[in-house]
Order: sequence, then structure tokens, then C-alpha cells
Amino acid sequence: MIPIGNVIEHYVLLASVIFVLGAVGFLVRRNALVQLMSVELMLNAVNLALVAFNRQHSSDMNGQMVSFFVIAVAAAEAAVGLAIVLSFYRLKSSVFSDEADSLRH
Amino acid sequence: MNALLAIAPLLVVGIGGLLIMLAEAFGKPQAPEGFDSAGRVIDAGAGRSAEIALGAAVILFASAITSVGLWLVGPETLEGAAAVQPYLVVDRFSLFFWFTLCTGGGIACLLAGGYLPEHGLDRAEFFPLALFSMVGAMALSASSDVLGLFVGLETMSIGVYAMIGLRRGNVRASEAALKYFLLGGFAAGLLLFGGALLYGATGHTDFVGIGAAIADANSPVSAGLVLGGLALLLGGLAFKVSAVPFHMWTPDAYEGAPTPATSFMAAAVKTAAFASLLRVLLTGFGDPRLMSWGAGWPPVLAVLAIVTMTYGNLVAGRQESVKRMLAYSSIAHAGYALVGVVSVMGSKSGAASVLFYMLGYTVSTAGAFGALILCGRRGAEAVSYEDLAGIGRRHPAAGIAFAFFLLSLAGVPPTAGFFAKLNVFGAAIESELYWLAVIGLLNSVVGAYYYLRVLVYMYMREPAPGAPIATPMRSGYVATALVVAAILVLGIGLLPGLSLEAATLATLKSGG
Repeated sequence: MIPIGNVIEHYVLLASVIFVLGAVGFLVRRNALVQLMSVELMLNAVNLALVAFNRQHSSDMNGQMVSFFVIAVAAAEAAVGLAIVLSFYRLKSSVFSDEADSLRH
Repeated sequence: MNALLAIAPLLVVGIGGLLIMLAEAFGKPQAPEGFDSAGRVIDAGAGRSAEIALGAAVILFASAITSVGLWLVGPETLEGAAAVQPYLVVDRFSLFFWFTLCTGGGIACLLAGGYLPEHGLDRAEFFPLALFSMVGAMALSASSDVLGLFVGLETMSIGVYAMIGLRRGNVRASEAALKYFLLGGFAAGLLLFGGALLYGATGHTDFVGIGAAIADANSPVSAGLVLGGLALLLGGLAFKVSAVPFHMWTPDAYEGAPTPATSFMAAAVKTAAFASLLRVLLTGFGDPRLMSWGAGWPPVLAVLAIVTMTYGNLVAGRQESVKRMLAYSSIAHAGYALVGVVSVMGSKSGAASVLFYMLGYTVSTAGAFGALILCGRRGAEAVSYEDLAGIGRRHPAAGIAFAFFLLSLAGVPPTAGFFAKLNVFGAAIESELYWLAVIGLLNSVVGAYYYLRVLVYMYMREPAPGAPIATPMRSGYVATALVVAAILVLGIGLLPGLSLEAATLATLKSGG
């Protein structure tokens, strides 16, 4: 039987890896949809970390409660975000954020 | 019931937002629904932004007055306030920021009531978005919990994303919304992962509990998790206050957005983010091991403050667009306010100086964007310095209004901006950060250059031959907004003692 502390460490490590993958993906890719997905990946990493940590601090359910809110808010954010990407695509026929360059001086 | 009374200012804005949304959706359309000759959508919300603006502004000012009322009653006597803690902490700190935010937001809504019809953007959706976003800003400034912080931040931001993109047919507005949305989502991710690490280290999501766990010598917490969490949390908040190097979105978002939305962002979003920054640092990370010159956050924030002030001022001086110049100037102002945040570690008046600064900055910057709106009219929005050439002599009222708010931003007495800077630098000196105060002072001198450049164009230049001659718009809404902002800027400048006393009272209760 593996002690529970070790298992939590594995989950937190996994969450950190996913978070870094999301952050790097966001910074490296220029496709707005991929960037949006990377942000979602980061938020899911947060959820995983919260739930794992909640197992360690099991006297209350704070971690799991926060992760529910994160899921709900992430959905709301994605709804507005996709509308913005769509409106950008209608004008520029592109979803690449480096083509958003008319504001540079 | 008592809990509802304690959060009354928040409820006024929230319920007001719902009513405004219904009024907008079920109002009688002014023309048959469909598309007009220019391809714009005609529905119940079209053509009615002026009347809806009045409603939204009344709601926001009512909420500001409710906050003052609660302040006079005394938030300590409100028994129900404990029921909503720690997600919403109703103390004098929150009430001070609620008043500031609602005043700034009310001015922005009045500006929108004049701007939107004038510039063919007559859509009433702006106002429910502004009110819901304000609910988020108020929750953010009052929250002492990772969950409340995140939900408040996102509620505020999602409304602002949509407000920036309001002009859907415009490439620049669409780009501005896209950039702000992507970076805002990224920042929220950073902030939240920081919160998760802090929860892992301490077992608490509320900052009072986090602070207690860090201070508890009997059960040491993992320093790596705490520092990592703090760094990510600060990074996320630095995005929202637009501190360098997290400022990339600011100039583009400020320039691409409709000007009332810009003024809402500069006034409300930045102020709420500073409120949250101050509360998080004081309640969660006030431990001497984390709040000293040798270790913890003060040296990091001091570097951020210097870089932010200097970069903002230097780049603002090179801009050709006044709107973009004001965007960079708002970055520089974030730097000045950060000086006050750093001073918290050694000075009793540090936190009060930040509160005072945000009040003075909010009304001055809302007024400055308002004056920029006043200087343009349909088809000829005032954007560049050239657009403003000679306007001060041809239209004295518009010129004086613009000059007044710019002087306040530059920090010339007897305006609010002067005392705001004085207090912040005074607090830095009190905590023996002399060099930080000196760098701040040098920066304000550099900053005066680009504010005065606008005055030079307004009063000493004539428009180039053949160039369109700018004429100010006429709108009771914009005029009212400017009068309200001017009274506040001048009032705070002439009687700084009153608001400083309020700011000092507000920090005593913040638990720092």
C-alpha cells in the first residue's frame, strides 16, 4: 500500500506539468483557439491540484468547492472568448493573434 | 437580513444591473426591428443608450451614497457582516473602495451616455455589462479569499472584454478585445494556480487563515509552495494593475476600446486590482519573514514599481495619439501607487497613501478620458495631438476641462493628483526608502512633459492648413460627468485632510 502523502505529491507534480504545458503553449502558439485551449489546460491543472491538495487537508471541502467554481467560471469565460474570436475572424478571416497588429505604433 | 444590509452597495449595483438589462431588452424599439441602411442591427437596445445611461449612472451613484451611509453607521456595528466573510469582508477598507469604484463607474456611464449616440454606437448593452462588471470589481476589492478573489476578478473582466469589443465592425476594437481576453485569461490562470499552491501549503483558502498558518511556528509550512504561490498570485494581480512587464495588453486595449470603456477600465479595473493587491499582501503576507526589505515581496514590488514608472513615462512621451499616451500614463500611475504599496512595510501611513492615491487617480483619469471625449464629435474623434491643436482658444470650456484633469494627473497643486503623489512619496520616505521616493519624483517630472505637451497643442498651436478643425461635441451627459469629476478632483485637492483621514480610518480596520 503506497502512503497517501506520496500519491498526492504525484498528483501535484502532474498538475504542475500540465500547468507549465498550458503556459508554454499559450506563449508559443499564435492561434487564438489554441491559446484559448492552453488557458483551459492551465485552469484544469489548477482543478487537479486543488482536488489533490484537498485530500491532504481533508478536514473541509474547500479545495473541491473552489474547483467547482473554477469549472463554472471557465465555461463563462470561454463563451465570451469564443464570441470575441468569432468577431475577430469575421473581420480578418484569421484566428492568428499575431495578425492582430493594427494597433501597433 | 442583516447580511443583506451589510452588502447593500453591492446589491444595489447587482439588482440595478438586472433591472437595466430588462429595461433594455423589453423597451419599445425606436424603429422596426431588423437592419438599418448601414447594416447595423436595430433591436430594443438600439437608439436608447442615453436614457439607459442615466439609469445606470443613478444606480452607481446611489451605491456610492449607500457606501457612505454604511461608513457613517459604522461597518463594525453591522452584525450580519460576519455571515458573508471571508468571501466579502465589509469593513471601512471595502467601503472606501466601493465609493471610489462606484464614483468612477458612474462617471464612465455618464460619459457613455454622451459618447455612444454621438459616435453611431448607440447600443444600450454597454450599461448592464458595466454594472455587472462593477459588481465583480466591488467583490474583488472586498474579498479576502482565493475563491472570492477569482470569481470577483472574472466577473469584472468578462464584462470588460465585451465592453471593449462593443464596436463589432471595427478591426481595432476586435483586436483590443482579443488581446485583453487572451492575456486576461492567462493572468487568471496564474493567479489561480498561485492560490492552489497556497491552499496546498497551508490548508486555507482565506487569506487570514493563510497568514496565520505562515506565522505559526509550531507547524512549519513548505516555503517553496508559499513563495511559488505568492509569486504566481502577484503575477496575476500585476497583469490587472498593468505593471511592467505584465502591461503588454494595456496600450492596445485602452486604445482600441470605445473611450467610455477605456475610462471604465482605467478607473474601476485598476482600482479594484490595487484594493485586492493591498488586502492580500496585508492580511495574508504581513508576516515579518515575508514583509521585510531583505526577503519576501517588498523588494520585488519595489523593482516592479521603478520599472513600471520609468517605462510608462518614457514610452508615453513618444506617443502621437493622446489616447495611447493616457494609456501609458495609466501604467506610470500604477508604478506610483506600487511605491505606496511597498512603503506599507515600514510606514503606518503607507496603506492610507495607496487608498488616497487610488481615489485621486480614479476621478482624475475618468475626467481626462471624459475631456478627450468632449473634444471630438461624430466622424471626428479626437485622437492625436494634432486633433487638439488650437482647441483651447477656440473652445475655452473644453480646453480648461482637459487642462485641469491633466494637471491633476501630472500632480500640480491644488488638485487631487498633487496630494496623492505627496502622500505616496511621503510614505516611502517614512519607511526610509529615500531612493525610491527620489526615483518617483524624477519620474513625475518626466511625466509632466507629455501632459504639458497636450496643453501646448491646445493653446499654442494652430491646426495645419487644410487639416480638419476639431469641434467639441455638445452633450449634457459628458458635461455632467466632467463637472462631477472636477468637483471631486478640486474638493480632494483643497480639502485633502478629509479624504486622507477617511483613508487612514479605512486601513486601521483592514487587519494589517
